[in-house]
Amino acid sequence: MSLILENIGRRVGRNWIVRHLQLEVAEGECLALLGPSGCGKSSTLRLIAGLDQADEGTIFIKGKDVTTVSPVDRRIGMVFQSYALFPHLTVAENLALGLRVRKFSATDQQKRVASILNLMQLEDHARQRPAQLSGGQRQRVALARALLRDPLVYLLDEPMSNLDAQLREDLRPELRRLILKDGQPVVYVTHDQHEAMAMAHRIGVMRDGQLEQVGSPQELYHQPTSTFVASFIGRPQINLLPAESGIIKAIRPEDLKLSSQGLPCRLIHREWLGTSQLWLLESPRGQLRMLTAGDTSIPANIQLEWSTKKEHLFDANSGLRSKYPTS
Amino acid sequence: MIQLLLLPAALLIALIFGIPLLRYLWLSFHADSVITSLVAIPNNGANWFRLFNDQRFWQDTYQTARFAFVSVSLEIFLALGIALLLDQRWRGRGVVRAITLLPWALPTTVMALGWRWIFNTPNGPIEQFAKLIGLQHLYGLQDLNILANPSLTWLATVVGDVWKTTPFVALILLAGLQTIPNDLYEAFDLEGGKPCAGLFKITLPLLQPYLLLGLLFRLAQAFGVFDLIQVMTGGGPASSTESLALYAYLNAMRFLDFGYSATVMIASFLLLVFICLFGWLVIHQTKHFREVVK
Repeated sequence: MSLILENIGRRVGRNWIVRHLQLEVAEGECLALLGPSGCGKSSTLRLIAGLDQADEGTIFIKGKDVTTVSPVDRRIGMVFQSYALFPHLTVAENLALGLRVRKFSATDQQKRVASILNLMQLEDHARQRPAQLSGGQRQRVALARALLRDPLVYLLDEPMSNLDAQLREDLRPELRRLILKDGQPVVYVTHDQHEAMAMAHRIGVMRDGQLEQVGSPQELYHQPTSTFVASFIGRPQINLLPAESGIIKAIRPEDLKLSSQGLPCRLIHREWLGTSQLWLLESPRGQLRMLTAGDTSIPANIQLEWSTKKEHLFDANSGLRSKYPTS
Repeated sequence: MIQLLLLPAALLIALIFGIPLLRYLWLSFHADSVITSLVAIPNNGANWFRLFNDQRFWQDTYQTARFAFVSVSLEIFLALGIALLLDQRWRGRGVVRAITLLPWALPTTVMALGWRWIFNTPNGPIEQFAKLIGLQHLYGLQDLNILANPSLTWLATVVGDVWKTTPFVALILLAGLQTIPNDLYEAFDLEGGKPCAGLFKITLPLLQPYLLLGLLFRLAQAFGVFDLIQVMTGGGPASSTESLALYAYLNAMRFLDFGYSATVMIASFLLLVFICLFGWLVIHQTKHFREVVK
């Protein structure tokens, strides 16, 4: 394992903003940290980078304990949410600055900057300032700077959040290829589950400074360990039925089926999504979201059923996945 | 159309600044003094001819410029240090920030009186301290008597001005520092940059527009200095601290020569406009400022 966090914690005043964080990222693996804002995902990234110091626990990079090592000596390639480009320098100067402070020779600087500009298709913008670039171009400059760092670990903090939705989807494959091409571990922070699923091999869902569940996108989707993960992963959101005898049953919207004798429902809202449509239904067991084929017509009497195999069961008190199915 | 909406403001400015200015310009081409029984009589530019041959006017121009450039340079330098300090996070910063602004909030006349007392001979603390370390021997004098020494008094006025207006410049620079995002420093840190290199590679370049803004504001203000000097030294000793504004004031209020006073005022106004235009051009030369303003 190339990046290991052992029981990491960070305290601000008396509050733990990250605690008991246990994480391993392998060579060439992209791990996404996913969670709502304030869950501690960016704080975790800053701890790995060394921008903040951990108050407890140990961080290993390539087997070396770097917990108290300075940021520069950890050799981190980081892409900031704001990109953190120097506004007074041109693209080429932005890229060369790091090489200059690390005392590369002038010819070395030129060579490396030229080759990275070529790789990122930024040659035409070398003499422009960040303010003159589009969002996508700025992101490429920020990534180019991280690549030039020749890092042991890549850290990306919401690198897509300043781009519009279309561009985000367009850039994903290219970004993924570039950050994984040299086989370093990648930690990718995002609050967007689609992005996390598209970019990462594994996803760590965070909540209140702790890791709620770590696993492949499929694991998170099919075996969420808590109601929090179940409702966080998957859109439209999973249906949580009211607790019965200490058990919460949860069922994904696409697992609800129309039937001739099931739970009677009343349609209150309908969104047509193309190949599918979302129905919002009022039932004796609360509001339900149902995903059905785009060409389904609305029957006179809506009645729903689902297979008990598709049910997720959670303990009503702890919200944790129940090990013993009731059926 | 949009420009039309500026009309009320433009009219107001014309009313407050334009009319007096034009009136003074008009007056500068007239004799208007006790001799003319305070009636304005056209004198075909005699005032301006007198001005160009007026030793005291050129002496005051030099003194005003010297005062302005020396005190503003010191202020920028000190204010930069103070702003950098106040931009850091430390306990009690809020209190210190408030205290730092106090000199600026004090009325000039009040603080100028204070400084006159501080420089007083033989009772002022500066004089006593100078005596303690024997500074007066450097000049071969019994007392240093700063406020009576034509080669030293202007420095005392510089001290007063620096003390009073450094907080103002510091405030401008502090505002500038707070526009610099912290992640620039973090990115620089990750690249291996040392903190002092960050000062020169990030802070100062990004602060440049604010430095120039402070410079411009302060130069304009210092060039028209009046109250501080009037209270601290009255322009003396031997007119060695007299500023252009003070000279214009004396011409009008002591010599009752309003025509010539207007000429001095218009001349110093033109000088100031020239300096500000020059400063403005320099500011616009810096590319970053254009981006910030844009």
